[in-house]
Amino acid sequence: MATFVDIQPTQQLDPIKGVKKMPLEEFFTSGHRTCQGCESALVMKLMAKAAGPRTVVLGSTGCMYVANTTYYSTSWVVPWMHTQLGSSGSAAMGAASGLKALMRKGKIKDEPINVIAFCGDGGGADMGLSAISAALTHPDYNLLILMYDNESYANTDIQLSGSTPYGAHTTFSPPGKMKRIMHHRWKKNMAGMLAAGHPTCKYIATVCMSYPLQAMNSVRKALSIGGPTFIHSLDPCPKGWDYDPMQSHEMGELAVTTGVWPLYEVEEGVIRLYGKTKEIAEGRYKRFPVRDYLLRQGRFAHFTDDDIDYFQSKVDQMWDKWLVPGVIPFLKEVETDHPPK
Amino acid sequence: MAQAVASLEQQADKTALITGSEAIAVACKLADVDVITAYPIRPYDTVMQYVAKLVANGELDCEYIVAESEHSQFEIVKHASAVGARVFCGSSGVGWMYAFEALTVTPGLRIPMVAMVGNRALDDPGAFGVEHNDALAVRDLGWQLVWVDNPQEALDTALIAYRVAEDRRVFLPCAISCDGAFLTHSQALVKIPSQEKVDAFLPPYNRGDLLLHPDNPITVAPQVNEDWLMEIRRQTAAAMERAYTVIREAYAEFEQIFGRRYGNPFFEEYQTEDAEIVLVGMGTLSTPVKVAIREMRKEGKKVGFVRVRWFRPFAAEELAKTLGRFSAVGIIDRDFSLGSPYLSGVLATEVRAAMYPAAKRPPMLDFICGLGGREVTLPDVKKMSDIVYHAAEGKPQPLTQWIGLRE
Amino acid sequence: MGRLFAVEIVYRGIFQKTLAKNISRAIVLAAHQEGKPGISFGRYGDSPERNGVPAKNFAIVATDDQTLEEGMAKYEPKEVDISIAVDDTLCKGVESWAWYGLQPINRLLKPGGTLIVTSREEPEALIEMCHRKEYPYQLAIVKGIPSFSGLWVYKEDHSDVRILGAIAKVLPELFSLESVQKAIRAEWKDELKATSAARSYERITTVTVPPNQGNPEEPFKFELPKWSEMREGVTIPAIPRGHAMENTATQQVGGWQPERNPTFKKFSTRTMRPVVDFDTCIKCTLCWLQCPDSCFDVTPDGLYDANMQACCGCGVCEAVCPVQKCVTMVNETQFRDNDSQWEMWNKDKEGYKKWLLEKIEHGPGPQRSHGFRYRGQYEEQVPEMLEIAREG
Repeated sequence: MATFVDIQPTQQLDPIKGVKKMPLEEFFTSGHRTCQGCESALVMKLMAKAAGPRTVVLGSTGCMYVANTTYYSTSWVVPWMHTQLGSSGSAAMGAASGLKALMRKGKIKDEPINVIAFCGDGGGADMGLSAISAALTHPDYNLLILMYDNESYANTDIQLSGSTPYGAHTTFSPPGKMKRIMHHRWKKNMAGMLAAGHPTCKYIATVCMSYPLQAMNSVRKALSIGGPTFIHSLDPCPKGWDYDPMQSHEMGELAVTTGVWPLYEVEEGVIRLYGKTKEIAEGRYKRFPVRDYLLRQGRFAHFTDDDIDYFQSKVDQMWDKWLVPGVIPFLKEVETDHPPK
Repeated sequence: MAQAVASLEQQADKTALITGSEAIAVACKLADVDVITAYPIRPYDTVMQYVAKLVANGELDCEYIVAESEHSQFEIVKHASAVGARVFCGSSGVGWMYAFEALTVTPGLRIPMVAMVGNRALDDPGAFGVEHNDALAVRDLGWQLVWVDNPQEALDTALIAYRVAEDRRVFLPCAISCDGAFLTHSQALVKIPSQEKVDAFLPPYNRGDLLLHPDNPITVAPQVNEDWLMEIRRQTAAAMERAYTVIREAYAEFEQIFGRRYGNPFFEEYQTEDAEIVLVGMGTLSTPVKVAIREMRKEGKKVGFVRVRWFRPFAAEELAKTLGRFSAVGIIDRDFSLGSPYLSGVLATEVRAAMYPAAKRPPMLDFICGLGGREVTLPDVKKMSDIVYHAAEGKPQPLTQWIGLRE
Repeated sequence: MGRLFAVEIVYRGIFQKTLAKNISRAIVLAAHQEGKPGISFGRYGDSPERNGVPAKNFAIVATDDQTLEEGMAKYEPKEVDISIAVDDTLCKGVESWAWYGLQPINRLLKPGGTLIVTSREEPEALIEMCHRKEYPYQLAIVKGIPSFSGLWVYKEDHSDVRILGAIAKVLPELFSLESVQKAIRAEWKDELKATSAARSYERITTVTVPPNQGNPEEPFKFELPKWSEMREGVTIPAIPRGHAMENTATQQVGGWQPERNPTFKKFSTRTMRPVVDFDTCIKCTLCWLQCPDSCFDVTPDGLYDANMQACCGCGVCEAVCPVQKCVTMVNETQFRDNDSQWEMWNKDKEGYKKWLLEKIEHGPGPQRSHGFRYRGQYEEQVPEMLEIAREG
């Protein structure tokens, strides 16, 4: 295959050695309309900071479009363009292929330019899944698709998405008199699914901005390695999850330390767990009970102990039964599933 | 310039036997298109088959991407165009409809995309044959829409479309409609101009201060509230207004460089000079209509034909002036607009609207004909002409009639 | 022609959305008890609300249907009988969108109209925050901690009914205490809430704010461009790149200051602001790094100065700061300007320390609640709120 694929050089973005070595300049800055304590806005800021000035960013419909850019005003320093809800994959392909053609044909200066398309969980895990999947099968375009996952359509009044956790209260899944749990689907395993399904994709990672250094270095690796890449970021959302904005950072840490959100990267097909997740997998760190995470959020306030136990059992299964713990949900034998009545 | 043109005229065109789809593929090569996206659906997909061959044989240097859906197809080229690439895309029938969201946002972003629509009936039922409703569905959205009726015109119009769409005064997408089968799948002799002529006619695409590139830091299409939207719509409206002038300029210079004359760019008139009544239509039904007219004229019936080329922008005043010359007008719609005024087709509804302010308003009838690729026969044309004659003589006629229908 | 009543409820986005809706609905239902027709609606442009960003809800009531129609004919009322600020820091003004400018909280108030504010502050403090008006208006304070709670768990601290009771007092023509109590019983089936409304009705006092008293500043505003002046393709220039900072005292140049959005200041998006103890700062970078609003300017001496043009008061910086009381969130009511703390510290370190300690005392502490922290927390807070209510 390689002989038919002509790959352009990428920018070589070296890992940032520590928070003290962090570049000072911002490329996504203030003046947006996002909520107090919006972790997704933090993702935008640190993603742009990691990528640097020679970058084009394409943003799918969602909070990071509506709240960030209020016409005739913006928060972006680097070029930014809106793309349709399900089009992050197509947008990245379009910009990357356009730049590539123009450079090859000598119509513009030949230089590596980062192309990043972002989408929320609605735009990525739901509507945009096929376009993202297609983009990841094109080894000849250098692009990064970053999915900021705040676990609901938070921009349209918080409706459930394929990425909303089991049982969560949303405007489309309100706990009622007859049904306590309206949303009984389990969260899609986006990064795992994409890594397993796109063998030629060189880099797929999960991140959380409560661990900014690793997250930013993930972005840098994704932009340097060549070809299409994907990063899935879990973003605590004070608005949709219903918690005090001051606790955004802590909420992200809890998602990881309870084992609900595993941190890993799949580089050239090689899986590597990192941070607390690695310690959990190696038994060097005892997972916090999910109760500590769930009951800090209003969206789970209606949970009974049975619901919490069930949630815990599913997370335990991730770590104790999955073929690749936390990543690939294949089991060695059939498990029975008993959600609470 | 004049001298350059003179020397260009010496260059002989190559002649090739190709379909309308192939002719547009050749135009893409001559226009040195940078990014092309394909997705299969009959009948337009033939153009992408030819493009693929050109790319495989190294005759066309472009990024050729087979997308995973029409929606992605159009979103990919939209963003490629935003970073300054010349792009080509296309679809048919429900495929075009699947891309509808992407089609909707393209004009407002002022993306000069050129697309081919291989006109096809909309599902259900699935039918490959021609109907114009697919392309017409975007008529209110800022797309320039043009109908051609032979492979030569397809090639020429594709070059003109790039010239017009990429003019900074316009920067609006343009869809070239080719009737399924009649144009997409049948071959004719086509003159293929030299690269030098095309280069003289078609300047490079320059996106200027709308270019999405680190050297031109901009934010494109942020969310607006009610304080802004009217102003943005007004800007797009102004661009469509300017397209009239730019289209005229383009055809004038086309004739100068390529030596082929299209007369009025917006609509073609056939034997209208002395005509008593006229038929009006779009696309390849022009052939049976012209032949039938020649036969009818032998019988002393002075029938003319007006073929609408540019549906958007619509040359309302000119067309009204022209049609006002005749004692009655029959519009042939290869489309329908269910529940529309007088239950007629889209073209008839638009022509009536165009006629309203006119000083002379002859009786106007609409004929729904040739749907789903059904042949428009010579007897059909004669029948329609007779009906129009009756109207001219003041005999009341139903405003809309279905022709060639089993009943 | 009958009489038209208009009431606006100004609230801080999502965490006060239910509160504002409850008040707005109950106003219409209470007036309906007296046969008056009315409508209740949120300003559509504000949704989806962001927490912190000011938003508005309106209740329009009339003595008859035709008069109501005159009220409904306007997208939103041009003048109101009552403005309600369910969070006292909104007295500094309302800036909901870029290009919107800063709109005084009392902008829509009719002469003699009443501004009702939920606050623990004294009238003087609130009047100082509100922009001047050329004619007198009334100020009524519903004593209490501004109520914040997310969409899923509502904080039943009776803020809603206490404001309703206050309305019955300051504008009896709109509805009587009896009517509003009927409406409350019908809506909430909670006698205690009806009692809270009555208590608020008895306790509420209003002060007259004479003309030209209050914040003398001219609120900033912007001129919207004509269609022909806007760049085409829905395209606008990006924010320019930032620049190094200069210490005017020492001429030391360094650090980084991002360019700030010129048309969206966000001064009015805060309920708290961080105050920084530059003497104890260990320059760990965390406040700066973790700020979702890029609000910290990096000073030439490597300190982090929260820029009030960008801070929306989320408090993440305090949460991540490893040093005790180095970054402390302080109630926004304690400030009258948006000046740089770092510059103040540079000019006079001793003075700054004094200022800092005095501010920190006020902390957000009891004056602030910022939403859900754990299940059961609201229930724990309610008694305290009701106690404040009793004290009046």
